[in-house]
Amino acid sequence: MNKTPMNPTATNKAVHKPFFLWRHLNKLRWVSLTIVFTMLVLIPFLHVYQTYLAAHTYDLLSGSEKQIYNSMEWLSSPFVTDPEDQLDALKGNTWSGTFGSLQLSDPLAVLGHLVSSQTFYWPFILTALIPVILTVFFGRFFCGWICPATFLYELNSNLGILLRKSGLHIGNRRFDRRLKYLVLAIGLAIAVATGSAAFAAIYPPAIIGREIYYAIALGGFGSGVVFFLLTLLFDLLLSRRGFCRYICPGGALYSLLGRFRLLRIKRIVESCNDCAKCTAVCEFGLDPLHDHFGQECNNCSACIAVCPTEAMTFYLSPQDIANQGPGHLGRQYKQQNTAFNPAEKMAGEN
Amino acid sequence: MRRRNFLQWIVTSTAVFAAGAIPFALNRLLAPAEHRLSRRHLKPPGALKSDAEFISACIGCGLCGEVCPPRCIQFHQRDGGAQVNTPYINPEQKACTLCGKCTEVCPTNALSPIAREKVDMGIAQIDRSACYPWVDRGICGACVSICPLGEEGINFKQWNQYQPVIQSGCVGCGLCVEVCPHPSLPIRIVERSQGRVMRHTVS
Repeated sequence: MNKTPMNPTATNKAVHKPFFLWRHLNKLRWVSLTIVFTMLVLIPFLHVYQTYLAAHTYDLLSGSEKQIYNSMEWLSSPFVTDPEDQLDALKGNTWSGTFGSLQLSDPLAVLGHLVSSQTFYWPFILTALIPVILTVFFGRFFCGWICPATFLYELNSNLGILLRKSGLHIGNRRFDRRLKYLVLAIGLAIAVATGSAAFAAIYPPAIIGREIYYAIALGGFGSGVVFFLLTLLFDLLLSRRGFCRYICPGGALYSLLGRFRLLRIKRIVESCNDCAKCTAVCEFGLDPLHDHFGQECNNCSACIAVCPTEAMTFYLSPQDIANQGPGHLGRQYKQQNTAFNPAEKMAGEN
Repeated sequence: MRRRNFLQWIVTSTAVFAAGAIPFALNRLLAPAEHRLSRRHLKPPGALKSDAEFISACIGCGLCGEVCPPRCIQFHQRDGGAQVNTPYINPEQKACTLCGKCTEVCPTNALSPIAREKVDMGIAQIDRSACYPWVDRGICGACVSICPLGEEGINFKQWNQYQPVIQSGCVGCGLCVEVCPHPSLPIRIVERSQGRVMRHTVS
Protein backbone atom coordinates (compact mmCIF):
# COMPACT_ATOMS: atom_id res chain seq x y z
CA MET A 1 0.00 0.00 0.00
CA ASN A 2 1.32 3.37 -0.94
CA LYS A 3 0.62 5.56 2.06
CA THR A 4 2.40 8.71 0.98
CA PRO A 5 0.05 11.02 -0.82
CA MET A 6 1.69 12.34 -3.92
CA ASN A 7 0.89 15.22 -6.08
CA PRO A 8 -0.34 13.83 -9.41
CA THR A 9 1.52 16.57 -11.24
CA ALA A 10 4.76 15.17 -9.80
CA THR A 11 4.27 11.95 -11.71
CA ASN A 12 4.21 13.83 -14.96
CA LYS A 13 7.82 14.85 -14.70
CA ALA A 14 10.24 12.79 -16.74
CA VAL A 15 9.93 9.17 -15.62
CA HIS A 16 12.69 6.75 -16.46
CA LYS A 17 12.12 5.18 -19.85
CA PRO A 18 13.67 1.79 -20.56
CA PHE A 19 16.27 1.58 -23.30
CA PHE A 20 14.25 1.05 -26.47
CA LEU A 21 16.02 -2.16 -27.54
CA TRP A 22 15.14 -4.02 -24.38
CA ARG A 23 11.61 -4.66 -25.46
CA HIS A 24 13.02 -6.47 -28.49
CA LEU A 25 15.34 -8.67 -26.46
CA ASN A 26 12.68 -11.35 -26.30
CA LYS A 27 13.02 -11.83 -30.05
CA LEU A 28 16.77 -12.09 -29.67
CA ARG A 29 16.16 -14.70 -27.00
CA TRP A 30 14.11 -16.75 -29.44
CA VAL A 31 16.87 -16.41 -32.00
CA SER A 32 19.35 -17.68 -29.41
CA LEU A 33 17.14 -20.60 -28.42
CA THR A 34 16.60 -21.52 -32.06
CA ILE A 35 20.32 -21.35 -32.85
CA VAL A 36 21.18 -23.61 -29.91
CA PHE A 37 18.53 -26.13 -30.86
CA THR A 38 19.53 -26.07 -34.53
CA MET A 39 23.14 -26.65 -33.60
CA LEU A 40 22.13 -29.62 -31.46
CA VAL A 41 20.52 -31.11 -34.56
CA LEU A 42 23.33 -30.12 -36.94
CA ILE A 43 26.25 -31.39 -34.87
CA PRO A 44 25.15 -35.06 -35.02
CA PHE A 45 24.60 -34.75 -38.77
CA LEU A 46 28.05 -33.21 -39.15
CA HIS A 47 29.45 -36.10 -37.14
CA VAL A 48 27.76 -38.59 -39.43
CA TYR A 49 29.28 -36.72 -42.38
CA GLN A 50 32.69 -36.96 -40.70
CA THR A 51 32.33 -40.70 -40.28
CA TYR A 52 31.50 -41.06 -43.97
CA LEU A 53 34.61 -39.04 -44.78
CA ALA A 54 36.75 -41.11 -42.44
CA ALA A 55 35.60 -44.30 -44.10
CA HIS A 56 36.03 -42.94 -47.68
CA THR A 57 32.69 -44.47 -48.37
CA TYR A 58 30.75 -42.08 -50.60
CA ASP A 59 30.19 -44.61 -53.36
CA LEU A 60 28.74 -47.14 -50.94
CA LEU A 61 26.20 -44.79 -49.39
CA SER A 62 22.49 -45.18 -49.96
CA GLY A 63 20.42 -42.36 -51.40
CA SER A 64 19.45 -40.72 -48.14
CA GLU A 65 22.95 -41.08 -46.76
CA LYS A 66 24.30 -39.40 -49.88
CA GLN A 67 21.84 -36.60 -49.24
CA ILE A 68 23.22 -36.15 -45.71
CA TYR A 69 26.75 -36.20 -47.10
CA ASN A 70 26.01 -33.64 -49.79
CA SER A 71 24.06 -31.25 -47.63
CA MET A 72 26.59 -31.36 -44.81
CA GLU A 73 29.39 -30.86 -47.30
CA TRP A 74 27.55 -27.85 -48.66
CA LEU A 75 26.95 -26.47 -45.17
CA SER A 76 30.46 -26.93 -43.85
CA SER A 77 32.54 -26.19 -46.94
CA PRO A 78 32.53 -22.38 -46.46
CA PHE A 79 33.99 -22.76 -42.98
CA VAL A 80 36.43 -25.63 -43.11
CA THR A 81 38.93 -26.95 -45.59
CA ASP A 82 39.54 -30.29 -43.89
CA PRO A 83 36.12 -31.24 -42.48
CA GLU A 84 37.20 -34.60 -41.13
CA ASP A 85 39.44 -32.96 -38.53
CA GLN A 86 38.31 -29.37 -38.35
CA LEU A 87 34.68 -30.15 -37.62
CA ASP A 88 35.83 -31.60 -34.30
CA ALA A 89 36.10 -28.02 -33.10
CA LEU A 90 32.36 -27.84 -32.49
CA LYS A 91 31.09 -30.81 -30.55
CA GLY A 92 28.80 -31.72 -27.75
CA ASN A 93 25.69 -30.20 -26.26
CA THR A 94 24.72 -27.86 -23.47
CA TRP A 95 25.52 -30.50 -20.87
CA SER A 96 29.15 -30.44 -21.93
CA GLY A 97 30.64 -29.24 -25.15
CA THR A 98 33.75 -28.05 -26.92
CA PHE A 99 33.98 -24.87 -28.94
CA GLY A 100 37.40 -24.86 -30.47
CA SER A 101 39.79 -25.02 -27.56
CA LEU A 102 37.13 -23.90 -25.08
CA GLN A 103 35.34 -26.55 -23.09
CA LEU A 104 32.12 -25.62 -21.34
CA SER A 105 30.02 -27.71 -19.00
CA ASP A 106 26.82 -27.29 -17.11
CA PRO A 107 27.49 -26.46 -13.43
CA LEU A 108 25.07 -29.27 -12.56
CA ALA A 109 27.27 -31.74 -14.46
CA VAL A 110 30.26 -30.60 -12.46
CA LEU A 111 28.36 -30.80 -9.19
CA GLY A 112 27.07 -34.27 -10.06
CA HIS A 113 30.53 -35.45 -11.06
CA LEU A 114 31.99 -34.01 -7.87
CA VAL A 115 29.64 -35.88 -5.57
CA SER A 116 29.42 -39.13 -7.52
CA SER A 117 33.14 -39.63 -8.12
CA GLN A 118 34.20 -37.76 -4.96
CA THR A 119 37.33 -36.47 -6.61
CA PHE A 120 38.34 -32.94 -7.51
CA TYR A 121 39.17 -33.20 -11.18
CA TRP A 122 40.15 -29.61 -11.86
CA PRO A 123 40.18 -29.67 -15.67
CA PHE A 124 36.51 -30.57 -15.52
CA ILE A 125 35.55 -28.26 -12.67
CA LEU A 126 37.07 -25.31 -14.54
CA THR A 127 34.88 -25.96 -17.58
CA ALA A 128 31.93 -24.74 -15.50
CA LEU A 129 33.73 -21.55 -14.49
CA ILE A 130 32.37 -19.36 -17.29
CA PRO A 131 28.74 -20.53 -16.86
CA VAL A 132 28.97 -20.00 -13.10
CA ILE A 133 30.37 -16.48 -13.47
CA LEU A 134 27.69 -15.61 -16.02
CA THR A 135 25.04 -17.02 -13.71
CA VAL A 136 26.27 -14.94 -10.80
CA PHE A 137 25.85 -11.85 -12.99
CA PHE A 138 22.77 -12.71 -15.03
CA GLY A 139 20.96 -15.19 -12.78
CA ARG A 140 19.09 -18.05 -14.31
CA PHE A 141 19.78 -16.82 -17.85
CA PHE A 142 20.61 -20.34 -19.06
CA CYS A 143 16.99 -21.38 -18.50
CA GLY A 144 15.63 -18.61 -20.66
CA TRP A 145 18.28 -18.06 -23.28
CA ILE A 146 20.14 -21.29 -24.01
CA CYS A 147 18.42 -24.38 -22.63
CA PRO A 148 17.22 -26.50 -25.57
CA ALA A 149 14.42 -27.83 -23.39
CA THR A 150 13.11 -24.30 -22.89
CA PHE A 151 12.73 -24.05 -26.65
CA LEU A 152 10.40 -27.06 -26.62
CA TYR A 153 8.72 -26.21 -23.32
CA GLU A 154 7.80 -22.72 -24.51
CA LEU A 155 6.38 -24.11 -27.74
CA ASN A 156 4.55 -26.59 -25.53
CA SER A 157 3.01 -23.86 -23.41
CA ASN A 158 1.96 -22.07 -26.60
CA LEU A 159 0.25 -25.31 -27.61
CA GLY A 160 -1.41 -25.28 -24.19
CA ILE A 161 -2.78 -21.80 -24.92
CA LEU A 162 -4.15 -23.07 -28.23
CA LEU A 163 -5.80 -26.01 -26.49
CA ARG A 164 -7.30 -23.68 -23.92
CA LYS A 165 -8.66 -21.45 -26.64
CA SER A 166 -10.24 -24.43 -28.33
CA GLY A 167 -12.17 -25.13 -25.16
CA LEU A 168 -10.17 -27.86 -23.47
CA HIS A 169 -9.90 -27.63 -19.72
CA ILE A 170 -6.23 -27.75 -18.90
CA GLY A 171 -5.07 -27.68 -15.34
CA ASN A 172 -2.72 -24.99 -14.18
CA ARG A 173 -1.79 -26.29 -10.79
CA ARG A 174 0.70 -24.59 -8.58
CA PHE A 175 3.03 -26.52 -6.34
CA ASP A 176 5.64 -25.42 -3.89
CA ARG A 177 8.53 -23.79 -5.73
CA ARG A 178 10.96 -25.23 -3.19
CA LEU A 179 10.30 -28.76 -4.47
CA LYS A 180 13.09 -28.39 -7.05
CA TYR A 181 15.64 -27.73 -4.33
CA LEU A 182 14.52 -30.97 -2.74
CA VAL A 183 14.95 -32.74 -6.10
CA LEU A 184 18.46 -31.28 -6.29
CA ALA A 185 19.24 -32.53 -2.78
CA ILE A 186 17.78 -35.98 -3.43
CA GLY A 187 19.71 -36.20 -6.70
CA LEU A 188 22.94 -35.38 -4.88
CA ALA A 189 22.14 -38.02 -2.26
CA ILE A 190 21.44 -40.61 -4.99
CA ALA A 191 24.65 -39.65 -6.79
CA VAL A 192 26.64 -40.20 -3.60
CA ALA A 193 24.88 -43.44 -2.74
CA THR A 194 24.95 -45.11 -6.16
CA GLY A 195 28.01 -43.38 -7.62
CA SER A 196 26.27 -42.56 -10.87
CA ALA A 197 25.35 -39.42 -12.73
CA ALA A 198 21.78 -39.23 -11.45
CA PHE A 199 21.13 -35.76 -12.86
CA ALA A 200 22.19 -36.53 -16.40
CA ALA A 201 19.25 -38.88 -16.76
CA ILE A 202 16.52 -36.49 -15.59
CA TYR A 203 17.86 -33.09 -16.63
CA PRO A 204 16.02 -32.09 -19.84
CA PRO A 205 18.79 -30.13 -21.60
CA ALA A 206 21.16 -33.05 -21.08
CA ILE A 207 18.49 -35.48 -22.24
CA ILE A 208 17.72 -33.50 -25.39
CA GLY A 209 21.30 -32.98 -26.50
CA ARG A 210 22.00 -36.64 -26.03
CA GLU A 211 18.81 -38.04 -27.49
CA ILE A 212 19.08 -35.97 -30.67
CA TYR A 213 22.53 -37.46 -31.14
CA TYR A 214 21.23 -40.98 -30.45
CA ALA A 215 18.38 -40.55 -32.89
CA ILE A 216 20.50 -39.17 -35.72
CA ALA A 217 23.78 -41.02 -35.40
CA LEU A 218 22.93 -44.20 -33.53
CA GLY A 219 19.59 -44.89 -35.12
CA GLY A 220 17.14 -44.67 -32.24
CA PHE A 221 16.01 -42.72 -29.22
CA GLY A 222 16.92 -43.85 -25.74
CA SER A 223 14.82 -43.98 -22.63
CA GLY A 224 15.40 -40.30 -21.87
CA VAL A 225 13.03 -39.23 -24.60
CA VAL A 226 10.16 -41.05 -22.86
CA PHE A 227 10.97 -39.16 -19.68
CA PHE A 228 11.06 -35.90 -21.59
CA LEU A 229 7.71 -36.61 -23.25
CA LEU A 230 6.25 -37.24 -19.79
CA THR A 231 7.48 -33.86 -18.64
CA LEU A 232 5.94 -32.26 -21.73
CA LEU A 233 2.60 -33.88 -20.86
CA PHE A 234 2.97 -32.76 -17.25
CA ASP A 235 3.53 -29.21 -18.43
CA LEU A 236 0.73 -29.31 -20.95
CA LEU A 237 -2.00 -30.93 -18.88
CA LEU A 238 -1.18 -30.29 -15.24
CA SER A 239 0.99 -27.29 -14.70
CA ARG A 240 2.30 -24.73 -17.18
CA ARG A 241 6.11 -24.93 -17.31
CA GLY A 242 5.74 -27.10 -14.22
CA PHE A 243 8.95 -29.04 -14.72
CA CYS A 244 11.16 -25.95 -14.86
CA ARG A 245 9.34 -24.28 -12.01
CA TYR A 246 9.01 -27.12 -9.56
CA ILE A 247 11.23 -30.07 -10.46
CA CYS A 248 14.25 -29.15 -12.56
CA PRO A 249 17.42 -29.69 -10.46
CA GLY A 250 19.46 -27.55 -12.83
CA GLY A 251 17.00 -24.72 -12.45
CA ALA A 252 17.37 -25.09 -8.69
CA LEU A 253 21.15 -24.86 -8.92
CA TYR A 254 21.01 -21.85 -11.24
CA SER A 255 18.47 -20.17 -8.95
CA LEU A 256 20.77 -20.62 -5.98
CA LEU A 257 23.81 -19.39 -7.92
CA GLY A 258 21.88 -16.43 -9.28
CA ARG A 259 20.28 -15.48 -6.01
CA PHE A 260 22.33 -12.29 -5.73
CA ARG A 261 22.57 -11.68 -9.44
CA LEU A 262 23.39 -8.18 -10.57
CA LEU A 263 21.17 -7.87 -13.63
CA ARG A 264 17.54 -7.72 -12.63
CA ILE A 265 14.25 -6.60 -14.05
CA LYS A 266 12.28 -3.97 -12.21
CA ARG A 267 8.92 -2.36 -12.58
CA ILE A 268 8.88 1.38 -13.06
CA VAL A 269 5.93 2.05 -10.85
CA GLU A 270 5.38 5.53 -12.29
CA SER A 271 4.50 4.19 -15.73
CA CYS A 272 2.73 0.99 -14.68
CA ASN A 273 -1.01 0.82 -15.23
CA ASP A 274 -1.70 -2.48 -13.41
CA CYS A 275 -2.73 -4.32 -16.57
CA ALA A 276 -1.07 -7.53 -15.24
CA LYS A 277 0.06 -8.66 -18.69
CA CYS A 278 3.54 -9.23 -17.26
CA THR A 279 2.20 -11.61 -14.65
CA ALA A 280 0.16 -13.43 -17.28
CA VAL A 281 3.07 -13.80 -19.68
CA CYS A 282 5.65 -14.88 -17.12
CA GLU A 283 6.56 -18.45 -17.96
CA PHE A 284 7.87 -19.08 -14.48
CA GLY A 285 4.72 -18.00 -12.69
CA LEU A 286 6.37 -15.04 -11.03
CA ASP A 287 4.43 -11.89 -10.28
CA PRO A 288 6.20 -8.90 -11.85
CA LEU A 289 3.14 -6.75 -11.23
CA HIS A 290 3.81 -6.99 -7.53
CA ASP A 291 7.59 -6.93 -7.93
CA HIS A 292 7.94 -10.57 -6.93
CA PHE A 293 10.91 -11.52 -9.12
CA GLY A 294 13.15 -13.35 -6.72
CA GLN A 295 15.89 -15.81 -7.54
CA GLU A 296 13.74 -17.76 -9.99
CA CYS A 297 13.54 -14.97 -12.58
CA ASN A 298 15.56 -15.99 -15.63
CA ASN A 299 15.78 -12.53 -17.20
CA CYS A 300 13.92 -13.80 -20.24
CA SER A 301 12.53 -10.27 -20.77
CA ALA A 302 9.11 -11.50 -21.87
CA CYS A 303 7.51 -9.07 -19.39
CA ILE A 304 9.51 -6.19 -20.87
CA ALA A 305 8.35 -7.13 -24.34
CA VAL A 306 4.70 -7.41 -23.39
CA CYS A 307 4.39 -4.27 -21.25
CA PRO A 308 2.14 -1.75 -23.07
CA THR A 309 3.37 1.26 -21.07
CA GLU A 310 7.12 0.57 -21.08
CA ALA A 311 7.14 0.09 -17.34
CA MET A 312 9.61 -2.79 -17.21
CA THR A 313 13.34 -2.33 -17.45
CA PHE A 314 16.67 -3.88 -16.56
CA TYR A 315 18.75 -2.48 -13.76
CA LEU A 316 21.86 -3.44 -11.86
CA SER A 317 21.47 -4.32 -8.23
CA PRO A 318 22.12 -7.35 -6.06
CA GLN A 319 18.64 -7.13 -4.58
CA ASP A 320 15.10 -6.82 -5.79
CA ILE A 321 12.98 -3.83 -5.01
CA ALA A 322 10.23 -4.55 -2.48
CA ASN A 323 6.64 -4.30 -3.58
CA GLN A 324 6.14 -0.77 -4.85
CA GLY A 325 2.37 -0.86 -4.66
CA PRO A 326 -0.09 -0.22 -7.48
CA GLY A 327 1.13 1.39 -10.68
CA HIS A 328 0.72 5.13 -10.88
CA LEU A 329 -1.27 4.97 -14.09
CA GLY A 330 -3.68 2.42 -12.68
CA ARG A 331 -7.12 3.00 -11.29
CA GLN A 332 -6.27 1.74 -7.81
CA TYR A 333 -3.47 4.24 -7.30
CA LYS A 334 -5.61 7.15 -8.52
CA GLN A 335 -8.46 6.21 -6.22
CA GLN A 336 -6.15 5.94 -3.24
CA ASN A 337 -4.53 9.27 -3.90
CA THR A 338 -7.73 11.11 -4.53
CA ALA A 339 -9.08 9.58 -1.33
CA PHE A 340 -6.15 11.06 0.55
CA ASN A 341 -6.33 14.41 -1.19
CA PRO A 342 -9.97 15.42 -1.61
CA ALA A 343 -8.84 18.87 -2.69
CA GLU A 344 -6.96 17.40 -5.64
CA LYS A 345 -10.02 15.45 -6.61
CA MET A 346 -12.11 18.60 -6.64
CA ALA A 347 -9.47 20.35 -8.67
CA GLY A 348 -9.39 17.48 -11.10
CA GLU A 349 -13.16 17.61 -11.56
CA ASN A 350 -13.11 21.27 -12.27
CA MET B 1 -3.83 -35.12 19.55
CA ARG B 2 -0.11 -34.58 19.63
CA ARG B 3 0.45 -38.08 18.33
CA ARG B 4 -1.89 -37.41 15.47
CA ASN B 5 0.05 -34.29 14.58
CA PHE B 6 3.26 -36.26 14.64
CA LEU B 7 1.83 -38.96 12.37
CA GLN B 8 0.54 -36.30 10.04
CA TRP B 9 3.97 -34.71 9.94
CA ILE B 10 5.54 -38.05 9.08
CA VAL B 11 3.05 -38.74 6.31
CA THR B 12 3.45 -35.27 4.84
CA SER B 13 7.22 -35.33 4.85
CA THR B 14 7.28 -38.83 3.33
CA ALA B 15 4.95 -37.66 0.59
CA VAL B 16 7.12 -34.61 -0.08
CA PHE B 17 10.27 -36.73 -0.30
CA ALA B 18 8.47 -39.20 -2.55
CA ALA B 19 7.47 -36.32 -4.82
CA GLY B 20 11.08 -35.20 -5.01
CA ALA B 21 12.31 -38.70 -5.79
CA ILE B 22 9.71 -39.40 -8.50
CA PRO B 23 11.85 -38.17 -11.43
CA PHE B 24 14.78 -40.37 -10.43
CA ALA B 25 12.57 -43.40 -9.85
CA LEU B 26 10.86 -42.84 -13.19
CA ASN B 27 14.18 -42.70 -14.95
CA ARG B 28 15.38 -45.89 -13.30
CA LEU B 29 12.15 -47.54 -14.35
CA LEU B 30 12.77 -46.48 -17.96
CA ALA B 31 16.34 -47.80 -17.94
CA PRO B 32 16.23 -51.14 -16.15
CA ALA B 33 19.50 -52.51 -14.88
CA GLU B 34 21.19 -55.26 -16.84
CA HIS B 35 22.08 -57.84 -14.27
CA ARG B 36 24.65 -59.69 -16.25
CA LEU B 37 26.65 -57.25 -18.28
CA SER B 38 27.41 -58.57 -21.68
CA ARG B 39 31.10 -59.30 -21.97
CA ARG B 40 30.93 -58.04 -25.52
CA HIS B 41 30.63 -54.53 -24.11
CA LEU B 42 34.05 -52.94 -23.90
CA LYS B 43 34.82 -49.64 -22.31
CA PRO B 44 36.35 -47.05 -24.66
CA PRO B 45 40.16 -46.76 -24.63
CA GLY B 46 41.77 -44.90 -21.75
CA ALA B 47 38.82 -45.60 -19.48
CA LEU B 48 39.16 -45.82 -15.73
CA LYS B 49 39.97 -49.37 -14.75
CA SER B 50 37.11 -50.29 -12.46
CA ASP B 51 33.55 -50.26 -13.74
CA ALA B 52 32.25 -48.44 -10.66
CA GLU B 53 34.82 -45.67 -10.98
CA PHE B 54 34.09 -45.31 -14.66
CA ILE B 55 30.35 -45.03 -14.09
CA SER B 56 30.77 -42.46 -11.36
CA ALA B 57 33.15 -40.37 -13.46
CA CYS B 58 31.05 -40.43 -16.65
CA ILE B 59 28.52 -37.59 -16.88
CA GLY B 60 26.73 -39.02 -19.91
CA CYS B 61 27.40 -36.10 -22.26
CA GLY B 62 28.00 -38.28 -25.30
CA LEU B 63 31.02 -36.32 -26.50
CA CYS B 64 33.13 -39.46 -26.94
CA GLY B 65 30.55 -40.81 -29.35
CA GLU B 66 30.30 -37.53 -31.21
CA VAL B 67 33.97 -37.47 -32.17
CA CYS B 68 34.42 -41.18 -32.88
CA PRO B 69 35.44 -41.46 -36.57
CA PRO B 70 34.24 -45.07 -37.09
CA ARG B 71 31.18 -44.33 -34.90
CA CYS B 72 31.94 -47.39 -32.82
CA ILE B 73 31.06 -45.88 -29.44
CA GLN B 74 27.52 -46.72 -28.49
CA PHE B 75 25.58 -45.89 -25.37
CA HIS B 76 23.41 -47.70 -22.87
CA GLN B 77 20.33 -45.95 -24.20
CA ARG B 78 17.48 -47.94 -22.75
CA ASP B 79 19.17 -50.12 -20.16
CA GLY B 80 22.01 -50.19 -17.71
CA GLY B 81 20.37 -48.83 -14.56
CA ALA B 82 23.00 -46.68 -12.89
CA GLN B 83 25.20 -46.79 -15.97
CA VAL B 84 22.53 -45.51 -18.33
CA ASN B 85 24.01 -43.20 -21.01
CA THR B 86 27.54 -44.41 -20.43
CA PRO B 87 29.49 -45.42 -23.55
CA TYR B 88 30.48 -48.88 -24.64
CA ILE B 89 31.99 -50.50 -27.70
CA ASN B 90 30.67 -53.66 -29.21
CA PRO B 91 33.49 -54.88 -31.48
CA GLU B 92 31.23 -57.37 -33.20
CA GLN B 93 29.36 -54.46 -34.75
CA LYS B 94 32.06 -51.81 -34.99
CA ALA B 95 35.46 -51.81 -33.39
CA CYS B 96 37.70 -49.12 -32.01
CA THR B 97 40.53 -47.91 -34.26
CA LEU B 98 42.56 -46.55 -31.31
CA CYS B 99 42.59 -43.02 -32.73
CA GLY B 100 42.28 -41.59 -29.23
CA LYS B 101 39.92 -38.75 -30.10
CA CYS B 102 37.43 -39.76 -27.41
CA THR B 103 40.11 -39.67 -24.73
CA GLU B 104 41.05 -36.13 -25.74
CA VAL B 105 37.50 -34.81 -25.81
CA CYS B 106 36.21 -36.40 -22.60
CA PRO B 107 35.61 -33.51 -20.19
CA THR B 108 35.99 -35.66 -17.09
CA ASN B 109 38.58 -38.17 -16.00
CA ALA B 110 36.44 -41.07 -17.23
CA LEU B 111 38.58 -41.31 -20.37
CA SER B 112 42.09 -39.94 -20.31
CA PRO B 113 44.64 -39.69 -23.12
CA ILE B 114 46.89 -42.69 -23.22
CA ALA B 115 49.55 -44.07 -25.56
CA ARG B 116 48.20 -46.58 -28.02
CA GLU B 117 50.32 -49.42 -26.67
CA LYS B 118 49.17 -48.73 -23.10
CA VAL B 119 45.45 -49.00 -23.83
CA ASP B 120 43.83 -51.81 -21.91
CA MET B 121 40.38 -52.74 -23.15
CA GLY B 122 41.04 -56.45 -22.65
CA ILE B 123 42.86 -58.97 -24.74
CA ALA B 124 41.85 -61.02 -27.75
CA GLN B 125 41.26 -64.71 -27.23
CA ILE B 126 41.15 -67.32 -30.00
CA ASP B 127 39.03 -70.40 -30.03
CA ARG B 128 41.37 -72.76 -31.90
CA SER B 129 38.61 -75.27 -32.48
CA ALA B 130 36.74 -72.89 -34.77
CA CYS B 131 39.27 -70.54 -36.41
CA TYR B 132 39.56 -71.53 -40.11
CA PRO B 133 43.37 -71.88 -40.33
CA TRP B 134 43.57 -73.61 -36.97
CA VAL B 135 41.15 -76.33 -38.10
CA ASP B 136 42.79 -76.50 -41.51
CA ARG B 137 39.88 -75.04 -43.41
CA GLY B 138 41.70 -72.68 -45.66
CA ILE B 139 43.80 -69.60 -45.27
CA CYS B 140 42.54 -66.37 -43.75
CA GLY B 141 44.76 -63.97 -41.80
CA ALA B 142 42.15 -61.20 -41.68
CA CYS B 143 42.80 -60.56 -37.98
CA VAL B 144 46.54 -60.33 -38.50
CA SER B 145 46.32 -57.93 -41.39
CA ILE B 146 43.85 -55.56 -39.65
CA CYS B 147 45.65 -55.32 -36.31
CA PRO B 148 46.64 -51.66 -35.74
CA LEU B 149 49.52 -52.74 -33.50
CA GLY B 150 51.10 -55.02 -36.06
CA GLU B 151 53.28 -57.84 -34.87
CA GLU B 152 53.06 -56.76 -31.25
CA GLY B 153 49.35 -57.51 -31.23
CA ILE B 154 48.85 -60.64 -33.26
CA ASN B 155 51.03 -62.73 -35.49
CA PHE B 156 51.01 -66.02 -37.36
CA LYS B 157 52.30 -69.08 -35.64
CA GLN B 158 54.79 -69.48 -38.44
CA TRP B 159 55.30 -66.97 -41.17
CA ASN B 160 53.30 -68.71 -43.89
CA GLN B 161 50.93 -70.79 -41.86
CA TYR B 162 47.89 -68.65 -41.33
CA GLN B 163 47.20 -69.73 -37.77
CA PRO B 164 46.94 -66.53 -35.68
CA VAL B 165 48.50 -66.24 -32.25
CA ILE B 166 47.75 -63.34 -29.95
CA GLN B 167 50.85 -61.56 -28.71
CA SER B 168 51.27 -59.90 -25.33
CA GLY B 169 51.04 -56.43 -26.87
CA CYS B 170 47.36 -56.86 -27.74
CA VAL B 171 45.30 -54.03 -26.23
CA GLY B 172 41.84 -55.42 -26.99
CA CYS B 173 40.65 -52.89 -29.56
CA GLY B 174 38.51 -55.56 -31.20
CA LEU B 175 39.23 -54.82 -34.86
CA CYS B 176 40.08 -58.53 -35.33
CA VAL B 177 36.63 -59.41 -33.97
CA GLU B 178 34.99 -57.04 -36.42
CA VAL B 179 36.74 -58.51 -39.47
CA CYS B 180 36.64 -62.18 -38.49
CA PRO B 181 34.75 -63.95 -41.28
CA HIS B 182 33.75 -66.94 -39.19
CA PRO B 183 30.09 -66.74 -38.16
CA SER B 184 30.72 -67.95 -34.62
CA LEU B 185 33.49 -65.41 -34.06
CA PRO B 186 36.27 -67.63 -32.74
CA ILE B 187 38.17 -64.48 -31.75
CA ARG B 188 36.78 -62.32 -28.99
CA ILE B 189 37.89 -59.74 -26.44
CA VAL B 190 38.12 -60.97 -22.86
CA GLU B 191 39.64 -59.85 -19.59
CA ARG B 192 43.41 -59.98 -19.63
CA SER B 193 43.42 -62.64 -16.90
CA GLN B 194 41.39 -65.06 -19.02
CA GLY B 195 44.26 -65.79 -21.36
CA ARG B 196 44.84 -65.63 -25.09
CA VAL B 197 43.70 -69.12 -25.97
CA MET B 198 40.19 -70.29 -25.23
CA ARG B 199 40.16 -73.35 -23.02
CA HIS B 200 37.38 -75.82 -23.54
CA THR B 201 36.48 -77.48 -20.29
CA VAL B 202 33.96 -80.23 -19.99
CA SER B 203 32.10 -80.12 -16.74
